[in-house]
Amino acid sequence: MAKWGMVIDLDKCTGCQACSTACAMENNTLPGESWQDVLFYNAGEYPSGQMKWLPRPCMQCENPSCVHVCPTRATYKDEEAGGIVFVDWNKCIGCKYCMIACPYGVRFYSDEKPLIEPDIRETFPSDNGQLWSPPYQNPEEDWRRGIGIQPPGVVSKCTFCYHKVKHAPEGIADLDEDNPAVKEYVPACVRTCAPKARYFGDLNNPESQVNQLIGDKHGVRLKDHTGNKPQVYYLGAGAGVPAFTPADRENDA
Amino acid sequence: MSTSMKGMKPTTQDNAIQGPLGWGLLVIAAVVLLASLGYALSQLISSGHTSFNTNSALPWGQPIATYLYFALASSGLGLIASLPLVFGFKQFYPVAKRCIFLAFIVLISGMSVLALELGNVFRMLWAIPLNLQVQSAMFWMGVFYSLDLLFLLWKFSKLQGGEWDSKTAKQVGIASFIGVLLASGNLALIFGMMSMRPFWFDALLPIYFYFTGVTSGVAALVFFTYLAHGFNRQRMNPALQSLMTGAMPKLFAALIGGTLLFITVRAITGLYSNNPEINLVWTDYLFASPLYNAALVLGLLLPFVVMLSASLRNRVDVQLLVSCLVFLGLFAERFYFVVGGQVVPLFKGTWMPNLISYSPSATEWALTLIGWSLCFVLYLLGEKFLNLGDMPRQIAEKTPAAGDPAAGDLAAGDPATGAQASTA
Repeated sequence: MAKWGMVIDLDKCTGCQACSTACAMENNTLPGESWQDVLFYNAGEYPSGQMKWLPRPCMQCENPSCVHVCPTRATYKDEEAGGIVFVDWNKCIGCKYCMIACPYGVRFYSDEKPLIEPDIRETFPSDNGQLWSPPYQNPEEDWRRGIGIQPPGVVSKCTFCYHKVKHAPEGIADLDEDNPAVKEYVPACVRTCAPKARYFGDLNNPESQVNQLIGDKHGVRLKDHTGNKPQVYYLGAGAGVPAFTPADRENDA
Repeated sequence: MSTSMKGMKPTTQDNAIQGPLGWGLLVIAAVVLLASLGYALSQLISSGHTSFNTNSALPWGQPIATYLYFALASSGLGLIASLPLVFGFKQFYPVAKRCIFLAFIVLISGMSVLALELGNVFRMLWAIPLNLQVQSAMFWMGVFYSLDLLFLLWKFSKLQGGEWDSKTAKQVGIASFIGVLLASGNLALIFGMMSMRPFWFDALLPIYFYFTGVTSGVAALVFFTYLAHGFNRQRMNPALQSLMTGAMPKLFAALIGGTLLFITVRAITGLYSNNPEINLVWTDYLFASPLYNAALVLGLLLPFVVMLSASLRNRVDVQLLVSCLVFLGLFAERFYFVVGGQVVPLFKGTWMPNLISYSPSATEWALTLIGWSLCFVLYLLGEKFLNLGDMPRQIAEKTPAAGDPAAGDLAAGDPATGAQASTA
């Protein structure tokens, strides 16, 4: 059985945010509902100040705290689907406990004030129980896995583009956008990544490129001390995110 | 009232709420309830939870704090009721029935606020029991608070039927006590087990919740007991007068002191810690907020200092003031506890350059008002129709003895009521 994993090489990532855009287009997310975003921050000061950035999808943790806290099993880890963590929109009661329990901040409750005006939900009002209904939508809607446009009052998150990944041939080691045979099954953020900083493959397959990269290039997991054990690994410098400091005290001793 | 005729000393004629005052207050509380409910529902129906000021970075706001406040006040009241009903502290019998009733309606009020906060409340009714996610503290919250509600209702029906000491009444009382401990302890663990939210992560949080819960419970009990008697202690049964000038204010003072101690050690640990997710909450959010400081000083410290004085703590006006201040002070404490656990962004970055700011919207305030006004409406109805001042006959008819320390307190603290007690 596959265990889908993602590797993000921070030495190659340019912070262009094509991944964030592709994700929003693919999954019809609202402004601010960034299932995949890029964090920008600076660390230190002259002469050793650094500008850093960090792409951040759902980590699809092996030991996901969001799943443990969900009182209705609406959030679940689907081992059959490669260990992806889904939200069943038919079961979610909107208590938002999973958003509290996620150490990575990658869950969204879109029944909130619009990030930008005009509110796109009013421009394309709902006509079938969805939170909003834009003219173009992902045809492979699956509310049991939180794929498509959500109804009001539920939590949404990155699905590793399962509606694409599920069509991949069984037993395949890597979903590489450069391989014409499988490029349609590659998650949107991986396929669009111009500097090819993202890799997607089977962590259970010893032959996979993702495993080789993690081994050869010292892949690390974000906030590993939480014990959540992400299925997303980072390569290169920059995965050590500095502790939070308020902007006005950035340069304090 | 049949129960009072059956075996209890009739106390209802002393009840101020059963007269025109009760109707007047009921009309006011009902109008506030209907207005706040109408406003909240119109907002929720027209724009859903976009009418809240919470967002994906800070998902739990004032409605959750309100629920927490009511749920813990309910548990506190349940624990006070267990003093006479489980542990045999007889001087608390005069408030036992009112405690059980208040615990029930305060919990109903809290649950109503939570129901309006959830994204899909009716789905909860089948999705939680059918999916049995026993790993989730929130699943157990549903189980324990449902049991708590059931036992409170059962216990109240026993007291309403005049059954104070039957075997079943005792057993239901013990079950209710355990239910309360499990419910509020588990509620604490909903926060306390979140190691990714270090401000909350604390194995001893259940103890903190028990303590503060009982403190808010006593604040509510003192206020509502005086309200029931038109803020006039002389209308009270001598046994109740004796409690309100003896054990109750002493317990209240000790509880406020304990609450302050808990907050102090949490603050010291937080300020000492280098971890910004704890340290910054104290330095840049809690102690940086004039409202939090005011709530701490006026809502807890000042009441504690006042209650230390034996002559002040027995005065009706002082007790009322202290109960109102503590009520509000602990409400602020709940709010800052819930929001404080979320104000530090999970990641440093340009999207979140500072602490996350949050202040409740009009709809969220309406939800809080719904909780308070619903609580008042239910209380006034109970006071009118359910003889909440009822107590066992032997307690109601007992004249405080000359050597009774409570009677001594009574005479020392309030000459007017002392005279009444001695002639009763």
